[in-house]
Amino acid sequence: MPTCDKSVIVNGIRKSFGDVTALHDITFDVVRGEVISLLGPNGAGKTTIVHILSTLTRPDLGRAWVAGHDVVSEPGRVRRSIMLTSQQVALDNMLTGRQNLVMVGRLQGLTKSESRTRATTLVRDFGLADAADRRVETYSGGMRRRIDLACGLIVRPEVAFLDEPTTGLDPRSRHSVWDLIRRFKGAGITTVLTTQYLEEADALSDRIIVIDRGTIIAEGTNDELKRRAGSGYCEIVPQDRRDLPAIADALGSLLPESDKAAPTMTSDRIAFPAPDGVATVAEALRRLDSANIRFADVALRRPSLDDVFFALTKESAKTNLPTAGMTS
Amino acid sequence: MTTWTVARPKPSPLQQWWVLTIRVIAPTLRSGELAVAISLSAVFTASLYLPLKGIITTVVQGSYAQYVMPMIALQAVYFSAMSGALRSATDSVQEINLRFRAMPIAPMVPLAARMSGNVYRCATALATAVLCGYVIGFRFYRGVEYTFGFCLLVLMIGIALSLVGDLIGIVSKNPEATTHILLLPQLILGMLSVGILPPEQFPGWLQPVVRNQFYSQFVYALRALAGDATRSVAWPTWSVIGPALAWLAGIMLVAVQLYAYVLRRQR
Repeated sequence: MPTCDKSVIVNGIRKSFGDVTALHDITFDVVRGEVISLLGPNGAGKTTIVHILSTLTRPDLGRAWVAGHDVVSEPGRVRRSIMLTSQQVALDNMLTGRQNLVMVGRLQGLTKSESRTRATTLVRDFGLADAADRRVETYSGGMRRRIDLACGLIVRPEVAFLDEPTTGLDPRSRHSVWDLIRRFKGAGITTVLTTQYLEEADALSDRIIVIDRGTIIAEGTNDELKRRAGSGYCEIVPQDRRDLPAIADALGSLLPESDKAAPTMTSDRIAFPAPDGVATVAEALRRLDSANIRFADVALRRPSLDDVFFALTKESAKTNLPTAGMTS
Repeated sequence: MTTWTVARPKPSPLQQWWVLTIRVIAPTLRSGELAVAISLSAVFTASLYLPLKGIITTVVQGSYAQYVMPMIALQAVYFSAMSGALRSATDSVQEINLRFRAMPIAPMVPLAARMSGNVYRCATALATAVLCGYVIGFRFYRGVEYTFGFCLLVLMIGIALSLVGDLIGIVSKNPEATTHILLLPQLILGMLSVGILPPEQFPGWLQPVVRNQFYSQFVYALRALAGDATRSVAWPTWSVIGPALAWLAGIMLVAVQLYAYVLRRQR
């Protein structure tokens, strides 16, 4: 295998479950210490990728290496190098948080006293010292996820796979899990995160791989992806929505033909591309002023990742890809 | 900040087996599962012996305690297998099996640990069943070797049933469904066996099924191994024990094949 500075190399992976093709020719790599997000809707194939990389599922075609080991021919070595948190928290509910950690430590080969010491360190660092000796079944969703992540860190992983770690958590718990995931980056642990939340991918990762129906449809940094959705747009909210047709007239050439039909009496604003950024906004204001139209709000908006995502998935639908749809 | 600094040691399969076995056994003491298992044997003994004793002695030669003891022992290990299956289904639904599969643990170690837990459950159930049997007058009449044979056969049956139960638990990923799937054959095969009544008491068309189904064959073999004060029970020759061993081997073989299939499918 190609050693070097790459912790994960995925080369032409395909996977089908019966008649359903879950992954088509997936290729990407992750540099040591990098945090990447696999972003996609339910059924996109994210979990299948993580399961292949963590040796739980075999690919039909293609090869992948994790921490320098082939996931098919050296699964044992891969398992010694990784941590996996699956979508559902995988803990023994009959045990306390601390007992779960000690058990995982012992399974990883630590002695009983080493395991106990590690468990004490981790419950303290993960803010669970007070709850450590309660059964896990009494924990909140956020606490369960934190213990789940701590179990993966009982010995240091080279690569961490976090499969939708915040799905189902309330906003406060989500942010506390985000804080923990940010520490993976600080510790230099290569991290592959799957998420369907654009905001999460934006907040946590160095690079985003957008997946839809088993295919990678875009890849890049947050900024690179946002640039793909254009330079931004200008949004004008009139004081009186009955002015919308007048605004459309006043804007004239600034408003593309396709957007002229958009203002209706059900909309309270009008939006149009701003290729020159602030200059476009200034020009729009000058034209509205000349037409003597009063407005409540004017904004120059950068495209959000949501815009990017919807733009990209719309593009991929147009290319008539074969249908895929396994569990994400 | 020491969270990220511990290097990976080399895991030992023996240590992993031990840790996972203790994980299965320890909660049986805390959760009351052991207490329930012990009281179940007493309940089986009472429910099979007391109401039927007076009625059935007219159609059964010798002591009814000797007659019904194999059924009590089989019921006890069957319910142990069900507890094991419930645990296996719970592990699957909680996805802790997924965590183990992504860790450096040999694929057979979690199964070996669950089966060790099942052996412990079956041994406890058997010991309690024999104790309850002694209370109603059951005795081993054929000496130490055959007593050992009786216990070994019950344990082996328990292990085979546990293996099947564990498999059903893994596949169903549903503790409630697992219990129902296992309870139904137990009820049907238990009732339609020679465990409580002689085969002649069943309708003629049903008698071949009653005689030859595995539950009855286990009962015949166990009765022969335990013996009786009278000479009414067959001597444990190969012709009496053989069919039970064949059924046991068959169930084990099918379970192991299905296991291999399920493990392959998981990949």
